[in-house]
Amino acid sequence: MGIDIGFIWVAFKEIAKAIPLTLVLAIVPIIIGFFIGLAVTLIREYKVKGLYVIANGYVSFFRGTPAIMHIMLIYFGIPLLLDSIFASLHIPFQTSSIPIIVFVLFALSLTAGAYLSEIIRSGISSVTKGQMEAAHSIGMSTYQAMKRILFPQALAKSIPNLTNISVGFLHLTSIAFLVSQKELTGTANIVASSNLKFLEAFIAAGIIYWGLSIIIEGISHLIEKRVKEYSKGGVT
Amino acid sequence: MGKVFDPSLILEFIPTLIKYLGVTLEILAVSILFGVLIGISAAIPKLFNIPILKQIVTVYISFIRGTPIIIQLFLVYYGLPALLSLIYIDITRMDAFFFVIITYSISNGAIFAEIFRGAINAVEFGQTEAAYSIGMTPFYNFTRIVFPQAIRVAFPNIANTVIGSLKDTSLAFTIGIMDMMGRGETLIASSAHALEVYIALSVIYYVVVLILEKGFRVFEKYTNRYQGIDTSVA
Repeated sequence: MGIDIGFIWVAFKEIAKAIPLTLVLAIVPIIIGFFIGLAVTLIREYKVKGLYVIANGYVSFFRGTPAIMHIMLIYFGIPLLLDSIFASLHIPFQTSSIPIIVFVLFALSLTAGAYLSEIIRSGISSVTKGQMEAAHSIGMSTYQAMKRILFPQALAKSIPNLTNISVGFLHLTSIAFLVSQKELTGTANIVASSNLKFLEAFIAAGIIYWGLSIIIEGISHLIEKRVKEYSKGGVT
Repeated sequence: MGKVFDPSLILEFIPTLIKYLGVTLEILAVSILFGVLIGISAAIPKLFNIPILKQIVTVYISFIRGTPIIIQLFLVYYGLPALLSLIYIDITRMDAFFFVIITYSISNGAIFAEIFRGAINAVEFGQTEAAYSIGMTPFYNFTRIVFPQAIRVAFPNIANTVIGSLKDTSLAFTIGIMDMMGRGETLIASSAHALEVYIALSVIYYVVVLILEKGFRVFEKYTNRYQGIDTSVA
């Protein structure tokens, strides 16, 4: 049982074709999740009646269960729910015609929303109260103060956390292969089992994930440097 | 065939699945224990700036943090037997449980190494200097001055890692472990009620996480006992 070094390169080229799908699976949920997270944060911050309890439960549950559960619950649950609704409304629509990737994206977006809401919240709470008071005192409306004063500072402070979650979601996409998505891990699995060279294929996949993670970290490092330019030294 | 979705099955599945919670917690406990040991050994070269070892540790940490746990599982599962067969040790018949333990220990080790390094660096060097100036030995300095302060900084991160690791164990079934998730998969195969099984599993995971969080919060208060009223800093 030796290792076929040459095959790693063959597998690498084959698996690399799945990078776009993996990036879609990672980026789309983060973008949708950001808006979910923002909404949830605002609901929790302003203690909106009724919604507040739901938002708290949502964040707690999604942070307290493995992401594979979210994918499976939605993958099996939503079709059941939709089918019964369509059947009762006599709409001839089969949920089996919805591609699986839609469910995966939906599930991961909900997961991302829960994690991002905590990040946004900690970012906002890191901006001192005086900033909002100062904005109000020069006549800004709450909306203006949030948009121009609060969020830019909160976002700058959340960059390290946002990087972590981006890398985390890149890695989370690997479990989409359990619902037969052909992303990096899924493709690696196909390449591995069709050539019976498991180790080589997963080494190649590991290198791709590693490379992508390093690139994400590098980009965020550059962004952080730019964003923090103004706050170099002096009093904060 | 019964109903498509039968909520009463959820209650029926929970006791069956909970019997396998022990395996899940066993994987968690053992891998955290070894993870801490690996983490300490991996943090030392970086803290004391030991050449060569430091670079090896950096690559190790970078690789673990740069790849998904599922890839690490497959690499250990397929790679370790291949590696050991070079020195004529045959472990292809070894229980998948050991591969899982090895993978999660290595994975946790990298995360713990970063946590420990960050926590020890967070204790000001003046503390060490002060300890030496009143005649403490390096050993006493570490156990009485640096460690108690470092653990306070590290603990919230350690708690997060433990909870994250618990959630990660749900992927161990991919290499054939009979933990809670693995048992769930067999239940699905035999009952064809996937949704109910996953709801039951989610409930169990959620309750375990809530219990862990509660426990950690109590301990966190204990580590912060000298911090006065304002414990929100750092």
